[in-house]
Amino acid sequence: MKTLSPERLRRFHDMVDDYPNKRSMLMMTLRLVEEEFGCIDDAGMEIAAELCGVAPSHVQGMVTFYTHFKRPDHGRHRFMVCATLMCALDGNTDQALKQIKDKLGLSPGEKTKDGLFSCEKVECLADCDRPPVVQKDFEHFCAMKGKVLDEYIDGLLKKEGKTPEAYRAVPGAPMDLRVSVLPSHYNFVGDASRTTAVPPPLHTPLSAPVADGVNMNGAKHG
Amino acid sequence: MAEAFKPVILRHINEPGSHTLDHYLARGGYETARSLVGTADPASLIKIVTDSGLRGRGGAGFPTGKKWSFLAKGTGKPIYLAVNADESEPGTFKDRHILEKDPHQLLEGVILTCWAIQSRHAFIYLRGEFILGYERMGAALAEAKAKGFIGKNIFGKGFDLKVVVMRGAGAYICGEETGMLSSIEGGRGYPKIKPPFPAVSGLFQCPTIVNNVETIAAVTHIYKHGAAWHKQWGTEKSPGFKLFCLSGAVKNPGVYEVPLGMPMKEFIEVYGGGLVEGRSLKAVIPGGLSAPLLTPEMVEKCTLDYESLAALGSMLGSGGITVLHDGVDLMSAVTNTMRFYHHESCGQCTPCREGTGWLEKLAHKFHAGHAHAGDVDLVGEVAQNMRGRTICVLADAAAMPMQSYLEHFRGEFEKRVHEPAYVERQRTARDEITPEAKRETVAHGAPNVTDVGMGTDRV
Ligand SMILES: Cc1cc2nc3c(=O)[nH]c(=O)nc-3n(C[C@H](O)[C@H](O)[C@H](O)COP(=O)(O)O)c2cc1C
Ligand code: SF4
Ligand code: FES
Repeated sequence: MKTLSPERLRRFHDMVDDYPNKRSMLMMTLRLVEEEFGCIDDAGMEIAAELCGVAPSHVQGMVTFYTHFKRPDHGRHRFMVCATLMCALDGNTDQALKQIKDKLGLSPGEKTKDGLFSCEKVECLADCDRPPVVQKDFEHFCAMKGKVLDEYIDGLLKKEGKTPEAYRAVPGAPMDLRVSVLPSHYNFVGDASRTTAVPPPLHTPLSAPVADGVNMNGAKHG
Repeated sequence: MAEAFKPVILRHINEPGSHTLDHYLARGGYETARSLVGTADPASLIKIVTDSGLRGRGGAGFPTGKKWSFLAKGTGKPIYLAVNADESEPGTFKDRHILEKDPHQLLEGVILTCWAIQSRHAFIYLRGEFILGYERMGAALAEAKAKGFIGKNIFGKGFDLKVVVMRGAGAYICGEETGMLSSIEGGRGYPKIKPPFPAVSGLFQCPTIVNNVETIAAVTHIYKHGAAWHKQWGTEKSPGFKLFCLSGAVKNPGVYEVPLGMPMKEFIEVYGGGLVEGRSLKAVIPGGLSAPLLTPEMVEKCTLDYESLAALGSMLGSGGITVLHDGVDLMSAVTNTMRFYHHESCGQCTPCREGTGWLEKLAHKFHAGHAHAGDVDLVGEVAQNMRGRTICVLADAAAMPMQSYLEHFRGEFEKRVHEPAYVERQRTARDEITPEAKRETVAHGAPNVTDVGMGTDRV
């Protein structure tokens, strides 16, 4: 079973004193989970639920409400391009998106098939005087277009040992950031058979195995 | 006579190391807190803020001293201070500079405010995307704790104060005060019905004061220099100075601190360097995306204070001023704007959840040239029906700009009713395919239009 590292557990316990109750530690606990595992998946949500003494379904409600948490379906390198008016004026957002499309083959809402990169539009990132504003995971960039953006992506590709040819003209796959607790056969996005799919039995294992036998809905496995 | 205005809150932000404790102490930092905490009478401190005329800088412009005096007394419950560092109103990027470049200034304000309202527990809620800001605030807090400015028995005056810096995770609605409180409590950022106002029953059902970062930063200086000092700038009803965020089609966009009451025209000319070459003014969004649009004629009359903008049917809001040039296609702009509100509505209230979606779809229809004649009135009707009917004012914040587009630029809507040719010309104008095509569009007199990402696709 996944757990937080002792170091992050210590950070969790250091916070306890700062908050009137455990539930109010949830936002920050989810950040610890995100930091530990690189994203928040089902098992991570269960850890947070356990630590903060809330129902796993409540944590799922949080994680799907707040768009900034990194989910398993995001690419390892997650591009967030500000698409709100001040950035979009004079085609700045479009320019950044086009460059990402040209380099990585991604339109907003897509990830590369190998899961390395993803791209999405986000709303105002509070740096509107230097558009376009782009965040890559937890890095923030302004005036991110032209040579700077191209070179940045090239650098990432190089670091990953990839060539631009691997992605350039390959269409991306859609990301599904909402469905989280259902097994992958429930992943309807782009699935033509969505209306006819036979639901699997309820005791189908979750995408991430959970040792204590409790799934996100609080039901015991059969 | 007022002394010439020099930036107050932003004075040091461009100095190297301005975010460190050493730098802050070297310029007299924490001296005001040291001298007032534990000695000054809290009620008289609230009175100083009331006398200074300081008004909330987060958007609503509510008098700060008055808000503090509404605190429920004698409840036996703890009092909380929640500092709103969510800064998610599009076009606003002022709090970012305080958090990243002068965090101790904010912390001193928090200490002073907590003493004045007798709160022993403060939260500073940063939007999740403020990465450097979170780092710097965290580091500053650790420094202040190590010095004994925050924690148990601060400044040796027998007053205990806990300050917590925490992060949101990408929801505009967590900037709304009760939405932020829900988020701090560990829930989805759902706003709560008022009354009860937070000052009576807020965080964990205890009396709570919510203030913007800039408001709290200004408090530091008001206690240092006094209410009269603050009132020497600004107007009768909007005293003091404020940070304004200038974006869009100006030569020098950025954050500027100026006395309230400055003519908007002067601000754009002197600080913004005027419009970019070869462009003329089409409209100004004066107070963040939620503020109704100003036409060039209104800009001429406008001064930067709460009353002037209210008289023009708009608002000073968060101080985010965006200049739209003559080439901006307003139907693209309005579609983009409505997409924002539809995306950010928390969904609790039907008029907002449905209304923002309707407005987005209608705007998209106009943008794409598929609108019917009746849709012009429908836009106004939907917008009007969203106002004053919801838990928080996000619904109003979406409806107001839409109504202002309709009021001032109705012609642009009407032009798009069933006029495929107009839309086609614009498409050609922006596609820049071949020089021939370009020549052709010029020959057809196509407007030189900037399209903004109007996609209705949700991200
Ligand atoms: C939809 C919505 C978004 C808001 N966003 C912010 C924000 O990002 N930052 C902020 O300080 N106030 C924001 N406000 C205003 C707050 O509700 C509140 O009035 C303010 O934080 C109070 O502080 P002040 O009195 O110091 O201005 C928002 C309000 C609404 C309705
Ligand atoms: S008005 Fe909109 S954002 Fe505000 S509480 Fe209602 S649904 Fe949520
Ligand atoms: S609109 Fe892009 S950062 Fe504000």
